[in-house]
Amino acid sequence: MTDPMPPAAPTALAAEPVGPAASPPDRPSLPPGRWIRENLFPNARNSILTVFAILVALFTYRGLLNFMFSEERSWIAVRTNLRLMFTQAYPEHQYIRVWVTVGLVVVLAGLSAGIWARWGGVTLKRLMGWLMSGGGLVAVGVLIREPSVLTDAAGETVRDDVGELVRESFAAAMADRWVWWAAALVLFGLGLALWLRFDDLARRTSEIPVAWLVFGLPGLLVASTWVIRYGHYAFADGEFIAEPGQLVAMSTRVPWTVIWLLLVGCFGIGRVARSRAIASSQAVPDAADDDEGAEDEAAPELPRGALAKTRAIVNLAWVLSPFFLYWVVMRDPEIDYAHVFSTMLPMGLAFGVVGSAVLWWLTRSDAGEVGRLAAIGLLLLAAFHWVAAFFGWYSMLQVARIAFLLLAVAGLLAPNFAGVAAQRRRLVGAWLFVVLLVFYGATVINAPSTIETPTDMFIGGFSVTLLVSVLTIMLSFPIGVLLALARTSRQPIFRVLSTVYIEVIRGVPLITLLLFFSGVLPLFLPDGMEIAELAAAILGYTLFSAAYLAENVRGGLQSIRRGQYEAADAVGLTTTQRTGFIVLPQSLRVSIPPLVGQVIATFKETSLLAIIGLFDFLRMANSVVPNQSQFLGVRREGLLFISVVYWVVAFAMSKYSQRLEQRVGLGQR
Amino acid sequence: MSTQPAHGDATIAVSDELAARDDMIVCRDVDKWFGDFQALSGITATIKEQEIVVVLGPSGSGKSTWIRCINRLEAHQSGQIIVDGIELTNDLRNIEKIRSEVGMVFQQFNLFPHLTVMDNITLAPIWVRRKSRPEAEELAESLLERVGIPEQAQKFPGQLSGGQQQRVAIARALAMEPRVMLFDEPTSALDPEMIKEVLDVMEELARSGMTMMVVTHEMGFAREVADRIIFMEEGEIVEVGTPHHFFTEPAEERTKLFLSQVL
Amino acid sequence: MSDPRAPDRDASLSTLGTRPPFYRDATVVRWIAQVGTLILVLAALWFLATEAGDSLRARGANIDFDFISDHIGIKVGWGIDTNPDSGGRALWVGMVNTIRMAAAGIALASVVGVLVGLARLSSNWPLRRLAGVYVEALRNIPLLVQILVYAAVLASLPNVSFDMGPIPGWVHLSNKGLSIPRVFVADGFYQWAVVMLIGGVIARVVFKRLAARREQTGMQTNAGAWATGIVAVFAIVGWWVHPIFGWLGGVFGGLSDAVGSIPQGVVQLVAALAAAGVAVWWIRRFLAQHRTPAGLVRLTDDDWFRMIFAVAGAAIVVLFVAVLWPGLSSWIVNSSSDGLGVLADKFGNGRTGAPIDAMRPDIVQPGNFPNYGPAGLNLPIGFAAVYFGVVFYTAAFIAEIVRGGILAVPKGQSEAAQAVGLRRSTALRRVILPQALRVILPPVGNQYLNLTKNTSLAIAVGYSDLVQIGQTVYNQTGKTLQVMAVWMLFYLACSLTISAAVNFFNIRLRIVER
Repeated sequence: MTDPMPPAAPTALAAEPVGPAASPPDRPSLPPGRWIRENLFPNARNSILTVFAILVALFTYRGLLNFMFSEERSWIAVRTNLRLMFTQAYPEHQYIRVWVTVGLVVVLAGLSAGIWARWGGVTLKRLMGWLMSGGGLVAVGVLIREPSVLTDAAGETVRDDVGELVRESFAAAMADRWVWWAAALVLFGLGLALWLRFDDLARRTSEIPVAWLVFGLPGLLVASTWVIRYGHYAFADGEFIAEPGQLVAMSTRVPWTVIWLLLVGCFGIGRVARSRAIASSQAVPDAADDDEGAEDEAAPELPRGALAKTRAIVNLAWVLSPFFLYWVVMRDPEIDYAHVFSTMLPMGLAFGVVGSAVLWWLTRSDAGEVGRLAAIGLLLLAAFHWVAAFFGWYSMLQVARIAFLLLAVAGLLAPNFAGVAAQRRRLVGAWLFVVLLVFYGATVINAPSTIETPTDMFIGGFSVTLLVSVLTIMLSFPIGVLLALARTSRQPIFRVLSTVYIEVIRGVPLITLLLFFSGVLPLFLPDGMEIAELAAAILGYTLFSAAYLAENVRGGLQSIRRGQYEAADAVGLTTTQRTGFIVLPQSLRVSIPPLVGQVIATFKETSLLAIIGLFDFLRMANSVVPNQSQFLGVRREGLLFISVVYWVVAFAMSKYSQRLEQRVGLGQR
Repeated sequence: MSTQPAHGDATIAVSDELAARDDMIVCRDVDKWFGDFQALSGITATIKEQEIVVVLGPSGSGKSTWIRCINRLEAHQSGQIIVDGIELTNDLRNIEKIRSEVGMVFQQFNLFPHLTVMDNITLAPIWVRRKSRPEAEELAESLLERVGIPEQAQKFPGQLSGGQQQRVAIARALAMEPRVMLFDEPTSALDPEMIKEVLDVMEELARSGMTMMVVTHEMGFAREVADRIIFMEEGEIVEVGTPHHFFTEPAEERTKLFLSQVL
Repeated sequence: MSDPRAPDRDASLSTLGTRPPFYRDATVVRWIAQVGTLILVLAALWFLATEAGDSLRARGANIDFDFISDHIGIKVGWGIDTNPDSGGRALWVGMVNTIRMAAAGIALASVVGVLVGLARLSSNWPLRRLAGVYVEALRNIPLLVQILVYAAVLASLPNVSFDMGPIPGWVHLSNKGLSIPRVFVADGFYQWAVVMLIGGVIARVVFKRLAARREQTGMQTNAGAWATGIVAVFAIVGWWVHPIFGWLGGVFGGLSDAVGSIPQGVVQLVAALAAAGVAVWWIRRFLAQHRTPAGLVRLTDDDWFRMIFAVAGAAIVVLFVAVLWPGLSSWIVNSSSDGLGVLADKFGNGRTGAPIDAMRPDIVQPGNFPNYGPAGLNLPIGFAAVYFGVVFYTAAFIAEIVRGGILAVPKGQSEAAQAVGLRRSTALRRVILPQALRVILPPVGNQYLNLTKNTSLAIAVGYSDLVQIGQTVYNQTGKTLQVMAVWMLFYLACSLTISAAVNFFNIRLRIVER
């Protein structure tokens, strides 16, 4: 079930609906009365449409409210199981690890947001619109929702002689809902107050930074946990705890508060770093006049110097963080230090030293064909190790095979770094870093987890959904790019192989692929090689997603004009350099909107994990909670709740992609 | 280095001083087909070191194809092309060498839009010529000075005018310190008021002793700057001569016809 | 030329004219890389296949397709045959269910999608906003979650009872699903279809004639009305006279026997010759493209490599069909013969009943364990959940495509249409939509494809589509790989069909443009 953004849609998405909020600053707003007349009832046909649309909206809204507030709903099932839905049965005394994970992600997110984003503003008019329509929606909801069912002293619903539920009177219902009335009044009043405070021009032109809203709203929510008695619901030590009217547990309030502070703090740090860097680049003429203008011109491009370096480091941290968070923080591996000192450390050192020497030799300016052939020889040797592993001719640590392969790849890339000492040093440095990562990673991954959980997976629910999404995207991206390059290549065999792969994968449903990878894959593996169920699923998702990504990237590749290739050839760049410096940077920028679309699609597709029997977010709501003895059969509440969570994440990403798209549009000439 | 006597058809009417120089580009019987369309037939010409050759001809006459064969953006199918003593064959090593010996300027500029002017110029020196970054930037600054736009180094190509872009493209080609510069209709995509700024740069380059081969429709430039003019039509070289000879007493009917149309 | 070509001079450079060593020859290096990759891929596939074979043998399983004809004793929840007598029949029931779901889904999703897309562009503010909310709400929630929500909601509907609505006796909605009157293809349908075909051909001829006359004379000829009338007459008359085409059954029966008696060797020979013929044809065309008035162009190394590959490919195909896999040929013979046999049965002489029939749903037993009779069309909850799911989900995407397509038509077009005095609706129908259609069609085709593939999520709610039945089949028989091969072929065939249809209409639209 893949639905990357349809190709035609993006252009359309960029244009905001021509609602009142989007009116340009030079056109004054209409007074409310005229606005209603012109937009709602300009003629008979439109009036009918208006009435029709409003009725449909009201009925849907009413149905949703009645469903949500019905006395048959047991939202307590969702409240009690929140931790289960997000992290499965992660042990209570180790829960700090989850918070650290969230905290680290938030630190990175805050830094990135501070360093990168050009945060626009929301016009006051828009803000007031949101406030007032929010208040209006609440008020309408209070009015149209059916009156609640009467309950007797024992909490049982009251029925009349025919067995129908007895509901309170309309007036009583309205009076009972005074909290909601108050909320509606506050929202509407805030909007109205702002409206009256400013004149039309100010309303349309003055803006509130988006960052205030993005950080302020969660801030309000976090603050409210200290004040409002949401109640305390949990399963703790096998006990079912439901204490309505309590404050949320301390173990939830404190971490979220800290996390919010971290977010805002890191955002501030990022902001400062950014403005410093921009200030220092002011020295360059024409690079930046005022902040906003400079951002419009230069932000899509990579700036030089300190900022670029910071960005590179943050990017690297993002790339490494999922692995670190999953295998180290969440898993708490028990490292066998004897093995590390006897095997891993010496082996890593050997690879580091010998590999560096080989690469240093391969990057001599006169290495020429000999160097190239040597690298190919290295590649054959590395490939042979894998073949040997397949047939079991001789044993070798997997990490050594991987290291050999990486060394061969580095050797193939070596000619691009040949000559100058600085470049050679850079390649060797990168190699040492890679060796460190590979050997550290292998050590950590091979160490057993010390987290004790009732199931064999130590994470579940939303955390599995996220993990699979993130790993799938990260792994399928390079494969997708390679496939796209092969498909647009002039070499027929590459093209045919890539085309066949892409079309076959795109032709079959994801679920068949997942069933294959979760069920049949073990048949294809040699004796003694095993693959965890989750890894098999991720492999399936990756291969699937790569085919779709390849098509998105191909769209970008095809938008690169021939002249760019010719110019790159004419200045003497090699094919690799041409691809890396000229073709990919340009085409990937064009492909950003469909790529984000693919990310959203992948995120939604992870719900299929539930079908192949993994405990993902959907499975928690659809099978696990309804099977608990306290909440037997309570399914719709959970499904509605996870729908909202899925929706929020996917919607946020699609909004972000629309912003990106507009910015990409600006970047073009 | 090839030092053969210059008696090819394309070297007639050349001063003795020029004839004594080394050959820079030698083409012998070059044929090129696109499907069943013959784009070049039997092109034979020699271009001397520091010589300025302007190639004229109606559109579709194979001028651009020829010039693109010389740095192997297109592969010729028969005959020989020898640039600075290196023959253009399928040999990977030769193609690499040729590309860094020959600079090329395109009609559509073909600057890299995602890189700043500075990065456009320094990319190849750093990654192909193996210069260090400071060295390359120093070179780029001097080249930008030379083409008259030193202040634009940190801008992106999209922020420059067409004439400025083409001058950056010339600087980018020069940054490889080539022995030959090829110009493929460098002013055709420019607004009239920008043509002169590019031609000025090219004239200055010609005076500095660069070997240049220019495909253009700028008759003024051909008359003023060229050492020789080669006139092509339908993939063949029709006539070769000094500007004086070419513009005042062309030998061929086809040349006369062409001149009557463009002058 | 002003001077004859220069005489040959000997090259002063020793390297001139010589070939570089192979490892520096650009063409050779490129092809080595390609062939190397190809060998690597094939080797990897071969390794995996061997491993799978070994593993299966170790478990005592064989790779064969016997389950297709063997009785495997599974029951299917819903479909044209709930008690299939073989694995093949069971999978066929699943395919029909998938196709039914996909076809019905595509039809409704298109309608909903276009309406919502147009609503998003409406000048009416509430309608526009409503459509916007619809799109944003539905496309950002995973389809599987939506399907499960529908299933959960439907499961909470009331039990079956005799006086059940919404239209008692005609349309029933209960926690067992939706029951509606069934219209079905009856006895004489195929013969009737032949009558209709003849009518259609005649109508087309008449239509063209009349249309041509109108072009020439300019007078109103009502070509459309005539054509419709002719088809209608044939349909009505054919309702009773269709048995006259009963002899077609005999014809197909004879053909079936004839095809069945073709020796396998002949088929192998024909297939091998066809493969060789394709290769020869391709090389001849290739050479013809490189032939010039002045004789054959010197072929580059690249060209030679291409031709060698064409020959090698053909040789492999020939080897395959002729030597390695004789079963393929006999399968082709048998299945063509079977197909014709089925046709012979459908056109058989004994079929004299009405072509199309309909029946109302009947409830055999109401209550907690209800039972529907076979008369009506009973759509189980799984069907409804998957159907609503794929329809509303896909419609959201189609709506965005339609909106984007219409916005992609330059504004000048609608202004021009208004300038020549067309009404807004006429302008939309005659000017904007035809142009937008060209932008819309390819991505909408993609969405149809997605919808078809998404019907496989039926497995989550127990609707008996191909994947769900396939899973039952391989759980029963252990023939996992084979069932998956069937899945793959079926879905690939579906995607090829849909792409072919989209391409066909795309080409037609382009011709219309000229």
